[in-house]
Amino acid sequence: MSLRQKLLLLFSLTVAASVAAVTWTVLIRIRQVFEVRDQQETALFVSQFQREFQHHSDEVAAAVDRLAGGDQARTMAFQITQSGDASPYLTTAQSMAQSAQLDFLEIVGADGNVISSAQWPARFGYPELAAAESGQAPFLKREDLPDGTTAIGLFAVRAIAGAPSIRLIGGERLDQSLLADLAIAPGMTVGLYIDPGTAASTAGSAAAAAPSFDATRLIAAEGPLPGAAGYQKLIDAAISSGREMSGIVYPTARRQDSVNATVIPLKNQSGAVLAALTVAISRTGMIETQRRIREIAYGIAGAGILLAVFFSLWIAARVSRPVEQLARAAEEVAGGNWDVTVSERGRDEVSVLARSFNHMTSELVSQRDRLVQSERVAAWRELARRLAHELKNPLFPLQLTVENLVRAKGLPPSDFDEVFSESTTTLSAEIANLKTIISRFSDFSKMPRPELQRIDAREIISRVHALYANAAAVDSARLRFEMDIPGEPMPVDADPELLHRAISNLVLNAMDAMPDGGIVTLSACPKGETAELRVSDTGQGLTPEECERLFTPYYTTKQHGTGLGLAIVQSVIADHHGTIAVESGAGAGATFIITLPRAAS
Amino acid sequence: MFRQLAISCLFAVLLLPADARTRPHYGGTIRVEVNGDPLAVPSGLARDLLFDGLTTFGPDGSVQPALAVAWRSEDRDHRWQLSLRSGVTFHDGSPLTATSVVNSLNRSCNGHCPWSVVHAVGSQVVFTADSPMPQLPALLAEDEFLIALTLGADGLPPTNPIGTGPFQFVSAVRDTVTLAANQNCWRGRPFADTIEIRGHRAVRDQWLDLSVGRTDVVEIPPEMLRQARQQQLTIVASPPVTLLALQLLTTSALANPMLRASIAQAVDRSALFNVIFQKQGDLTAALLPQQLTGYAFLFPPDRNLGKAIALRGGLTTASLKLAAEGDSAMQLAAQRLALNLHDAGFPVQVVPGNTPNPDLLLRRLPLESSDPAAALAVLMHSAGQNDPANASTPSALFRVEKNILDMHSIVPLLDLPRAWAVSGKLRDFALRADGAPDLANTSLESTQ
Repeated sequence: MSLRQKLLLLFSLTVAASVAAVTWTVLIRIRQVFEVRDQQETALFVSQFQREFQHHSDEVAAAVDRLAGGDQARTMAFQITQSGDASPYLTTAQSMAQSAQLDFLEIVGADGNVISSAQWPARFGYPELAAAESGQAPFLKREDLPDGTTAIGLFAVRAIAGAPSIRLIGGERLDQSLLADLAIAPGMTVGLYIDPGTAASTAGSAAAAAPSFDATRLIAAEGPLPGAAGYQKLIDAAISSGREMSGIVYPTARRQDSVNATVIPLKNQSGAVLAALTVAISRTGMIETQRRIREIAYGIAGAGILLAVFFSLWIAARVSRPVEQLARAAEEVAGGNWDVTVSERGRDEVSVLARSFNHMTSELVSQRDRLVQSERVAAWRELARRLAHELKNPLFPLQLTVENLVRAKGLPPSDFDEVFSESTTTLSAEIANLKTIISRFSDFSKMPRPELQRIDAREIISRVHALYANAAAVDSARLRFEMDIPGEPMPVDADPELLHRAISNLVLNAMDAMPDGGIVTLSACPKGETAELRVSDTGQGLTPEECERLFTPYYTTKQHGTGLGLAIVQSVIADHHGTIAVESGAGAGATFIITLPRAAS
Repeated sequence: MFRQLAISCLFAVLLLPADARTRPHYGGTIRVEVNGDPLAVPSGLARDLLFDGLTTFGPDGSVQPALAVAWRSEDRDHRWQLSLRSGVTFHDGSPLTATSVVNSLNRSCNGHCPWSVVHAVGSQVVFTADSPMPQLPALLAEDEFLIALTLGADGLPPTNPIGTGPFQFVSAVRDTVTLAANQNCWRGRPFADTIEIRGHRAVRDQWLDLSVGRTDVVEIPPEMLRQARQQQLTIVASPPVTLLALQLLTTSALANPMLRASIAQAVDRSALFNVIFQKQGDLTAALLPQQLTGYAFLFPPDRNLGKAIALRGGLTTASLKLAAEGDSAMQLAAQRLALNLHDAGFPVQVVPGNTPNPDLLLRRLPLESSDPAAALAVLMHSAGQNDPANASTPSALFRVEKNILDMHSIVPLLDLPRAWAVSGKLRDFALRADGAPDLANTSLESTQ
């Protein structure tokens, strides 16, 4: 990962993390604020509900009081007491309930059995346990109805004036009408859940069922509460525990429809939960606010990341670009191009580094130039030394011969002629020797350009092997030639004569390296896209220092060598776009390896 | 002598106005209010005035000729031949023919007739059936088989009900049906010129109208008879003419006869009798009333809840649907029966009366005939069950009835009367065998 990428990632993460932290904090705070507001609104509504509940209780108690003290009830009670026949009053409870605008009314006799029931007229003769609550404050009671359903009502029990054994149990149904009278804040949903309880009838049904949540029994003021099933968990918990429960309810699958719900259990006198009031406050406002904040956060994060990109680019331009330039310059230096410099703007560490780099490359170039200069001087000195040495050898016989001729001038003619003849012969020979030396230097300076043609490298190896193997056959006991070439062709584009001369030169060197005899091995083998030609000997081998300088012109390990042979060979191989290398170890002989690019077959 | 003559003349003068007071007057309008639909099939009050049957029940409950003057059975009661009364015309003037009678009968029972085929042979109507029909004349007296004109002179069904009865249809505006006297009635012209029957009127409102003179005849349900007497109304009540019974569907949930027997033991007749129906009528566990057969006491009406639970034997059923035909008292009785059955472990749901195929149906069945066998046949036909085997002796009839009751498809509860309150303007107001008022023979005190 580049520095620019690291900077970009670092800036982006920093911006994103900062925005996320701020957003999360704001969201949490918003939720807390909304929850506090919801709790306050719920408490306010519950207070209102309790007032309304008390108001209805008072109304029920007053209505039953009026009925119990009315003429109709007193006359009825008197006649029942006198005649002992309550059957004529079967429908009296209905008319009384209607006049008192009560939803429930039962007349209970001295035996505790129902005489007349407004809500279930057929229940006459069945016992009514609530009659024992006579005179007490209104209470909640579950009432079974003829259609098999149950209702919850606010009931009051009063004895009829003058006939305390006959009691009236009047009640008002606890349903959505109670909710309709309440002022409900916008965004608030209020429901009333009537717990069906066990399906036991008054007489004890065989089909009693376990209590279970029934979503249809959760009603709002205007009808069934939407998404009532979502309240099941809270309502079940409130009913089973008898305590107020709060939580988030999801009436639909959409999160923005969720509500903060509070379920308040409504109990009878014995503490059993008969109904539950649900107060739900929409979370839409909070969710919308959170959504907006989240959108703003996304926007800020996006802008921050864009800024991070910009800053990372800017910083990269300030920091990473000089570093990258330094890296590229270092790579070029490593590749041999020392004439490279980098910009040195600024005073920071990178600028110091750039100046140091430029100083380093300039020093390298300077040292290289000095080294080249010194090598060039050394080469000229070596050349001069070689030329002097090479020329000095024939010049000395020439000088002696000329001095002999001078001295022979005083000899008799016959001796002079003999001396003259020998001297001229010697002079010619030495002059020829000088020509040879000069032509060698001339050849080195004027290497011909190779005339490339498609040849089989194996043929070159075979030709060289044949040339020298035949010559060495006379002394096969001392010197032996071996050849190892593959069966398939090894096409290369090469000048056959130059390549022949180069390999021959290597063979001659090998033979020179084995004055006591040995084995010269010529081999060829394909190596991928190249053809590898080897010339090995079994001589004394070369030291590592000798290996390094071996291809330097005029360097030789031989007593009478010019030091140009291997330089010429290297020049020829280089002209063929190939390489030459030497592998050697002390006492392990040496192997020259020529690598040429293979031509397409 | 003169003294005797003078005394005779004085008596004659005194007797003349007395004769004038007792002689019924023609004319006037009799106004009747009922709770139900006057034209309802069966038992609509106006139907009895518009239509005649081939036979009818006399005031004593005996089968008497009406549109048929004679009948004869053949082939061991498999074939009946009824001769029509001659000279009878429908209200539109068209003559009563055997064909019109056959058309009316075929339409009235709509394929569920007690007979297999009915056809006209001259002026005779011939009924044939695969099984014997010993009580066919009594069945034909039922309201269900009143004869109506099915095709008018134009060959189309008449838009108004047309029969041969003492009154003919005039109009039906809102809930009031107006009938006019049929001058050409084969039974003779009725006394009243017009009868207005206002239907769907609440009983309390009927009584109010009667008290202020807005009506002449109002209905008194059995459960309000006691109250009506306390209010000093002029009441004309019949003997028990209907059987309040719980009819059990013998298939599906109650296919098990033990369950039906359990239900028969679980019902509390005394609560129905004492409270809901205010001690009117009679408790009964028999199909036919005691005064008709003399053996009804052999069927004890007491509730035995322990036996009911034992008969149920722990078997549970799906929720049973209990429907009740009729007014609020019937609905209340149905709810009470539902409580009774709950006590015995039966889950019961009271459903509206028009619910199809309820498991339990609380209904009223007619007890019109004075002949026990005929009454039983009519009752079973009204209950939609097969005609019982003919029984010529009381012991045979007892066995037949016991066999029916042992199936527990019908659980008798109460024998109930029918009652009416009338204004002081009516004269000769009497009830027919089915407890309905005989308005054709009722007259008004004064037409002024």
